[in-house]
Order: sequence, then structure tokens, then C-alpha cells
Amino acid sequence: MDSRKILIVDDNADIRLGMHLRLKANQYETFFAADAFSGVAEARKHRPDLIILDLGLPAGDGFTVMERLKQIPFLAVIPVIVVSARDGLGNQKRAYEAGAKAFLQKPVNDAELLAVIRQALGEPAGTKKPTLLDQGSV
Amino acid sequence: MKEKPLQILLVEDNAGDVRLLREMFSKEKRDAFQLTHLLRMSEAETHLAKGGVDIVLLDLGLPDGHGLETVRRAHAAAPEVPVIVLTGLDDEALAAEAMNAGAQDYLIKGQIENRALPRALRHAVERHRMQTETDLIRTNQMQFKDEFLSHVSHELRSPLTAVRQFVTILLDGLAGELNLEQRQYLEIVLRNVKQLHSMINDLFEVSGVQAGKLKIEPQCTSVSDAIGYTVNTLQGAAAAKGIVLSSDIARKVPSVCADPARLRQILIILLDNAIKFTPQNGTVAIQARIFEEDPDFLLLEVSDSGCGIDPDKTERIFERLFQASDPDAADHNGLGLGLYICKDLVTRQGGRIWANSTPEQGSVFSVIFPIFSLPKLLAQAFTEERQTERSITLVVTEIGSQTGWLSNEVRADQCRGIRELLRGSLYSDLDILLPKIDVAGPEEFFFIAAMTDGIGGEAISKRIRKQLDSSERLRQAGLTHSTSHRSLEPIKQDSTESKEVFLERVATDIQAVINEEILARQVRNG
Repeated sequence: MDSRKILIVDDNADIRLGMHLRLKANQYETFFAADAFSGVAEARKHRPDLIILDLGLPAGDGFTVMERLKQIPFLAVIPVIVVSARDGLGNQKRAYEAGAKAFLQKPVNDAELLAVIRQALGEPAGTKKPTLLDQGSV
Repeated sequence: MKEKPLQILLVEDNAGDVRLLREMFSKEKRDAFQLTHLLRMSEAETHLAKGGVDIVLLDLGLPDGHGLETVRRAHAAAPEVPVIVLTGLDDEALAAEAMNAGAQDYLIKGQIENRALPRALRHAVERHRMQTETDLIRTNQMQFKDEFLSHVSHELRSPLTAVRQFVTILLDGLAGELNLEQRQYLEIVLRNVKQLHSMINDLFEVSGVQAGKLKIEPQCTSVSDAIGYTVNTLQGAAAAKGIVLSSDIARKVPSVCADPARLRQILIILLDNAIKFTPQNGTVAIQARIFEEDPDFLLLEVSDSGCGIDPDKTERIFERLFQASDPDAADHNGLGLGLYICKDLVTRQGGRIWANSTPEQGSVFSVIFPIFSLPKLLAQAFTEERQTERSITLVVTEIGSQTGWLSNEVRADQCRGIRELLRGSLYSDLDILLPKIDVAGPEEFFFIAAMTDGIGGEAISKRIRKQLDSSERLRQAGLTHSTSHRSLEPIKQDSTESKEVFLERVATDIQAVINEEILARQVRNG
């Protein structure tokens, strides 16, 4: 089976690289966008199986990305996982209302992120062995 | 420059007093004051609501309002208008209470000097303006500080994410094998990253604590569940230091009225602290039992065999940023916000927290929480202004296999204004309900929370309804069917519901009916 494609939309280059390394080690193929506008453009171009989306982005924000994706039928079906440093209280609710599959608070725990990705992609737990120590949540 | 005349509203029903006050004003410059005089509180409320009044001179004995209540009503009608209370009673205590209720000042009738009155009014208006301004500045400052803290903790999270990501990537060998020493050092980095993260969370939390924005939803909460969760969460941390972490929960420990998430948070902070300050191979224990001094509360105790706290510091440790230990001591680092947050959370849920300690032997942190009780919860529906003269009767019947399950939660004496007529009754006992009602006199509401398994509940409620309908006493008191016992529908427990969830629902249902009923009554009474 071809590896599943994941688009990472985050304006922090270090975080993009970190996620890429972790996802690559778990046999996912990754694509990147650093702002809201290219988030939608890259999604259109690569048709990823899943999108990891930051909320605070240049040229809009995570919510505008989700709104735009919804208007394009073949992009509207892609599961979105929001990973944000913003405080969870109101944003979590808003993200779910906008159609996000999950909301994770930065700094995110990689084990948790992988579990959420697998769930969103409908992959049975444990099919891919994460090559990481279980660091537990902080 | 010509000043605008000061608009004074005088609310006074005594003609003599009015004449006297008018005379005092007549000696002033014509344009300095404009006096409007009203006799009744209801008129005053309407007038105040229209606006344009600068200050109110308020008598405390009006035909349609008395004492502190009039101050509160004036305040409610126009919160921004200062009120000066007129009292003929020479009663400093009442005057002081009026000040507490929001009055700006008080004047004692018969002791007001001619020239002093206008000056007192001007000063009151000015004082009120300054106070309002100060409050506003304070609010703005607090808000700015909270936004700043919230912003800072947000900004700190992003770089921390990257640090954490790359440390775990290295630790997982994604960038090549590590030797033992490299691994050790990276684990130190990770531990400190976690520490930093928890500090940022504290910072964020405390900005919420200060702003009072923290969401707390007290409900019927199981203490043993919360303790189980906390002990599980921290077992690892304790084991790493060779500390024995044990819990001892009295059998049949009652549920408390608390927010379950906040209760867990409180216990985590306390246990985490205990583990931190206890040396290798020590002990940390958590206990739960009824509080001996006040059986309406449940006592939770976290004890440790740690370094202890200086006796004169056991109160100060709950202050913001206070740290009892040597700040350089390894392993004890934190922002010193944990216990502060803890105390705030406990207090806001109607509890209390304190510490006892013997240096070098250990500390005991005690927290008390109100025990969940149905009448108490219902009492929240009766705010002071809604409090009726008549008492509320709560009728509790239980039948079936689970008898005692609900009525053990209900103790009528726990709440003023709620009386209980019948409890834990079996079907055959219900005939005693009617005589009891007749003896008890007119009651405003009747409620029943009937737990049933099967058809019994309906039959019982039907029967009680019939008994209430036939009560002469109720009819004499002028209570109609709809006002006296409208909520006799049995509240059934869903088989999937826990006791906590069910009780919570019973309380919510009854509260809703009480609210509706009070509203209906207000409409009826105009």
C-alpha cells in the first residue's frame, strides 16, 4: 500500500521539520504549508489523506483554512487535526464546530498525535509501530 | 462658568421631614440644586430608571419599602447613582449596614446642619465619581494583566513544542543511535521541558483564577473516583522515588458537591507536592472521611513523611508565589502557584484548605468539601429576594430494591426553608402524607422525587396527587392545584445512569420547576 499523505500547515519551520521527521519514521508522506493561503493551495495540489493544522497562521488563520476547505467538495472530506498553542477553552469548541476531527494543545505529545492520526485515517491501532518511547503527557 | 444644577431625588414619606429638607435647600443658590420629591419606592424606581438623577436621598422607612431593602432597590434601579440614606433612628448599626449595602453616606434626621447638607451631597457625588473611576482603572489593569499573561503563555508554548519534538526525536533514535550518556542528558532536557510546560500552564491558569473566569461546575461528584484517578496518575512518580503511595477511603464515603475536573486537579497538586517534598523511600497517603467538626463536609487528607513546613508558614504557603523551601533546592522548583491555585479552587467550591506540619516529620494537607445534598442544591434556586415566607416541602418516596439510596442523600435539616415530610416511604405508608400536610399548614410547593422500578412510581404519584387535591387546608390557604403541587411527576432513573448523574438531574429538574413557579407567581402578583 502507498504511504498515506499528510499536509502540515504551521508557520513555525522547526515544528514543521519536527513533525515531518516523526511522521516519516511512521511511514507517512508529508507536505508543508506555512500560511493559510498556501494551506489551501497545497491541499488542492496534493490531495492529502489528512491535514495537521495550526490555528495562528499568517494570511488568515486555521479557521479560514477549514472554511475554505469546506467549500471545495473533494477537499471538504479530508480529516483535519488542529494542533494549536492557543488556549483550549473556546478554540477547541470552535475547531470542532468548524469540522476538525481532533484538537491537540501544543506542546503536543507525539504518541498522542500519532494515535489521533491513525484514528482519523481509520487505521487500526498498532498497525504501525511508533518508534518512540512513550513519554506520557506532561 | 455656570455649573449644571445637581439633580436630587428625595424619597421620603414624612411631610415634616420633606419640609425641613426643602427649607435647607431653599437657602442655597437657585440654580445649584434641583429637588424632585417622591413618596414611594416604586415611584422612585421608575424615576431612577429614566436616568438624569445625580444623587438619591433615601428614607429607610417608606410605605412600600423598608430598611436595607430600599437601598438595594435604589441601587438596582440605577447602579451608577450614589445613595445617601436618611435615618431618624440614630442607629449607627443600621447606617453601617446601609453603607455595606451600597449607600455612599448616611445622614441622621434632626442632626443635619443647614449648610452642611448641600456640601455633603456635593462631596458624595464627587466621591462616587472618583470611586467609579478607580474601579474602572483597576478593572482595566486586571484585564490587561490577564491578557498579557494569556498571551505570554501562548507565545511560550510554540518554541517549547519544537524543543520537545526534537528531544523526543533524538531519544527515539530517529537521528541515529545514542550512547548511554547522551540518552541520560536528553532525558534531563525532557524532564525540564515538562517542568517548564507545567509552569506555563500554571501561569495560564492563574490568569484565569485572577480574572474569575475559571469555569467551575459543581455537581454530585464521587470522591473515590477522583482519588483513584489521582493515585493512578501519580503512582509512577512516587515509585520512581521509592515512595509508598496509599489511599484509605472510609466505606460508604458520600459524594461531594464539586467540579469533578477541578477536584482531580486539586488532588493532583496536593499529591504531587507531597511526593516532591518527601525524601526517597518515604510515604504519602490520602484519606477521605466525614469531617468530625461539621458532618456536612467531607474531609480529604494528604499526609506525607516529608521535610515539613515551618509552623509559622503553614498559612503563607497558600499565598501567591510563596515557596516554603530553599529556592535553590533541586527538585522543588515551580512557580509557587500550585497551592495558590488549589486554595482558590477549593474556596470557590465552598470548601476550605489548611495545612498542619511538624518540621522534619511531615505535613498534612486537609481539604473539606460540602457533601452533596439535594436540599442544599435546591436552595440555590432561592436567592435572597426570592425567598418566600412559606417553606418548601420536599417529599421523597422510594420504593423497590434500592430504598434508602436517595433518602440517605436528603437531610431536610441541612437547609433552611426546605422541610421534608416523608422519606423512604413504602407504598402503604403514603396515607400518612395527608395528615402531615394538614398539620404542617400551607406550603408553597410540593415536590416529589420518586425512584421507581416499574409501575409503582406512577401509582404513588397519582395517589399523592389525590391526597393533595382533597386537602381542605390547602384550599383554605388559597393555593391552587397549579401552585401547590405541580411537580409530582416521578423522575425516573435511567438504568445506565450513575447515582451522581441521577441526583444531579433530579436537582436540575426540581430547580427548573421552582424557577418557573417563582416567575409565574411574580407575573401573577404584577
